[in-house]
Amino acid sequence: MIFAKIIGTVVSTQKNEKLVGRKLLLCRETDHAGKPLSGYHVAVDAVQAGEGDFVLLSYGSSARMTETTKDAPIDAVVMAIIDEVEIDKTGPAAP
Amino acid sequence: MKLGKVIGKVWATRKDPSLKGCRLLLVQPVDDEGRPQDRVVVTADPGTIAGGGDLVVIVTNTDATETFDRAPPVNAAVVAKVDEIG
Repeated sequence: MIFAKIIGTVVSTQKNEKLVGRKLLLCRETDHAGKPLSGYHVAVDAVQAGEGDFVLLSYGSSARMTETTKDAPIDAVVMAIIDEVEIDKTGPAAP
Repeated sequence: MKLGKVIGKVWATRKDPSLKGCRLLLVQPVDDEGRPQDRVVVTADPGTIAGGGDLVVIVTNTDATETFDRAPPVNAAVVAKVDEIG
């Protein structure tokens, strides 16, 4: 899973029938602190997320493992809304 | 599979129902000598086997979904806590 921030909604009337009723979110990849990175994804919403939310995004075939995205032609899903990221005091260091 | 060090936790109340009760750990992948390598990954810990500072074995991509009874939307999961490397 990767960290992302929702920066918008993709609205589409004509789309694959398996995507009907699915909300498409425009997500900017971020690091664990929420700092924006260069990549972005269009992801299906599985947790009623909204613009500005800090979320976890699952990608690839794993993204089809939610009730919302089962058997759909998609490769990214927003599957959790982050409350908090807790870093251990030792921080990211070698073991 | 890769080695990684648990450096934190991610708290998310609202998440896919298949992940209810499953801890999400922040893991820094390391090389075979323990040096940090690549970007930090969010990793599911379905067996609740690891904690802060632990060296773990993680499986990534769709293979990570095999660690659950019902496949959830995860890209990485902890499959073992390392006691020692001989």
